[in-house]
Amino acid sequence: MTQAHQGGAHGWTGARKGALSRLRFTSLRLRLVVVFGLVALTAAVSASGIAYWLNREAVLTRTQDAVLRDFEQEMQNRAGALPERPTQDELQHTAGQMAGSDQRFSVLLVGRDTEGRTVYGSSGGLNGFSLQDVPKSLRTAVNRTQKVDGANKHPYHLYWQRIVDHDTPYLVAGTRVIGGGPTGYMLKSLEPEAKDLNSLAWSLGIATGLALIGSALLAQAAATTVLKPVQRLGVAARRLGEGKLDTRLRVSGTDELADLSRTFNYAAEALEKRVEDMAARDEASRRFVADMSHELRTPLTAITAVTEILEEELEAETGSMDPMIEPAVRLVVSETRRLNDLVENLMEVTRFDAGTARLVLDDVDIADQITACIDARAWLDAVELDAERGLHARLDPRRLDVILANLIGNALKHGGSPVRVSVREADDSIVIEVQDHGPGIPEDVLPHVFDRFYKASASRPRSEGSGLGLSIALENAHIHGGEITAANSPDSGAVFTLRLPRGTSPAEEEQPAEDGLTPGSDTDRPQGEDTKGDA
Amino acid sequence: MGQNERVPSLLLIEDDDAIRTALELSLTRQGHRVATAASGEDGLKLLREQRPDLIVLDVMLPGIDGFEVCRRIRRTDQLPIILLTARSDDIDVVVGLESGADDYVVKPVQGRVLDARIRAVLRRGERESNDAASFGSLVIDRSAMTVTKNGEDLQLTPTELRLLLELSRRPGQALSRQQLLRLVWEHDYLGDSRLVDACVQRLRAKVEDVPSSPTLIRTVRGVGYRLDAPQ
Repeated sequence: MTQAHQGGAHGWTGARKGALSRLRFTSLRLRLVVVFGLVALTAAVSASGIAYWLNREAVLTRTQDAVLRDFEQEMQNRAGALPERPTQDELQHTAGQMAGSDQRFSVLLVGRDTEGRTVYGSSGGLNGFSLQDVPKSLRTAVNRTQKVDGANKHPYHLYWQRIVDHDTPYLVAGTRVIGGGPTGYMLKSLEPEAKDLNSLAWSLGIATGLALIGSALLAQAAATTVLKPVQRLGVAARRLGEGKLDTRLRVSGTDELADLSRTFNYAAEALEKRVEDMAARDEASRRFVADMSHELRTPLTAITAVTEILEEELEAETGSMDPMIEPAVRLVVSETRRLNDLVENLMEVTRFDAGTARLVLDDVDIADQITACIDARAWLDAVELDAERGLHARLDPRRLDVILANLIGNALKHGGSPVRVSVREADDSIVIEVQDHGPGIPEDVLPHVFDRFYKASASRPRSEGSGLGLSIALENAHIHGGEITAANSPDSGAVFTLRLPRGTSPAEEEQPAEDGLTPGSDTDRPQGEDTKGDA
Repeated sequence: MGQNERVPSLLLIEDDDAIRTALELSLTRQGHRVATAASGEDGLKLLREQRPDLIVLDVMLPGIDGFEVCRRIRRTDQLPIILLTARSDDIDVVVGLESGADDYVVKPVQGRVLDARIRAVLRRGERESNDAASFGSLVIDRSAMTVTKNGEDLQLTPTELRLLLELSRRPGQALSRQQLLRLVWEHDYLGDSRLVDACVQRLRAKVEDVPSSPTLIRTVRGVGYRLDAPQ
């Protein structure tokens, strides 16, 4: 049961996914229409079938009774009046007379004349009604002499049968004149009745068709009343999924769908509250980190200032410090510096998280900037720089320095020298590649290298860095509209590729020197006569 | 700053006891004379009594904050101010520079960095060559370290003066912000170019006829600034 249900649900989802444009045979709307149609069809067909059948019987029986009564009457009155051995002419004449009655049937009289020959009298002449038109079974029944007893007073009876000849229904009846007379057959076309019945059948068919159409429309309407809320629910659920947590449904009525809408609203409300709670908690924890790093700064400023005094003391001539205390002082000095870096990085991260990080743009020569960055950290010997001067970009030099220092520092630490830094231009951006010659980055670590505080393994020795460096580098690239990707070089070592947009190029904006017209935000205008005079 | 050999005297305005003590210790060891104040109000009072050569001013102060102290000093005084900011949020730096600070350092600051900045700012007031140059109505006397406009003395801070001197030494030549940072502020390659922009704005307000459409100190877009002699 459960399985079947799941299967159904799965199938429904699958069909939903698969086809939006093509007709869905599993759609609720179609199913409703089909069911409504089937119900309407069954009801209409059985009702009109019964009606048709009853009508048909009634019409035919009435016509038939009238015809047969007439025929019987005529037989008694006219054929009965014939001599026992009539002549052909007599028969013919009587048949014509009999056919002249109101009912307009054809008559065939069969008798034996005085010579014992079988003679025929037909109302329609020799071409008309003949014995061939009378089914054999009827002839046999008519000519069979029955025993006369209490229940059956006559040796011959009137028999009738309905036949169809050339698509026209006929009533054929026959009887014998009791006491030796001609046998009479009559043929009555039932075409008018058939036509009436046909038109009745048509009407009933049309009525059935109309009922079907009506049921389809009704089904549509029903489906719409059911599916509209379902569709609204679907739209609302999708909006909710897209993160618009304030989505609510209007609840009207007390039916199951209203119940469902109400449930949806409760769920959405609960979800919204939960997400709000989580966002608030997240925000609170972010603010906590920001506040904490702010708070850490104050004592750290004092400690840093004093640590330098200790450091100078260490660097002074030997003997000025107790050898027992010296390692302790060194530890304090180095760890204070680390703590400083960590707090600095934390501050940087919180600024990115809070969205308060801003760019201070300047026009920078990339090669100069990289050289300065390497030089300032005494990495000149360990880094091969492949960059031509004159490649300018508009970016934040401090942030570029942070990115470079982190990428190169990381390469030196994990890959080992020589680290190769190359710069090239690509379209409207500048691509800086930092490649080391170390073992490369394990594949399972690669997606996480930019994660904060990511440690490749718990057993790995505590690294010198704060664990935030690459993440900060990435954020700094992002704020420029750039990107950093990490990969392993096919040769050896890891490659970090930094791609930064160039911004506006300063080269073509270089101002003309002498004419005094400077393109610039603040338009310069020569002013004042006395100025001119003085110059 | 009469005598060159005089030990520069500083006024440190900082509310946190530990930082104040530590920085006082550190700066004293670097050879400065340091007076301290724990609030902006005390600092302003001390400033009137002692006339220090330079002020190191914390931004976050109880009562009137560092920006306001800076603004009040600038109303009457051109003495150099270095802001000490715990919040390196960029907006604070901008507000600080607009209120008239010459430079800023971000906490936790290393004593050596602060000392280097202090010395760089103090050097700006030192006189050098002894010639004069005139740009329109503006006359720069390098020996007296004075600037006059239409014969009137202009009150320039040492930083503004140094910026004007560096620009006037290369008339008609555009200097990039980074160049100016090295020349005037003696910053390393990572100087904050907003220092230059803020200082240029202040300088224009003093030397230009119409500061919003400058004729002397011109912006060279994509490069930096240039001092032009009006034709």
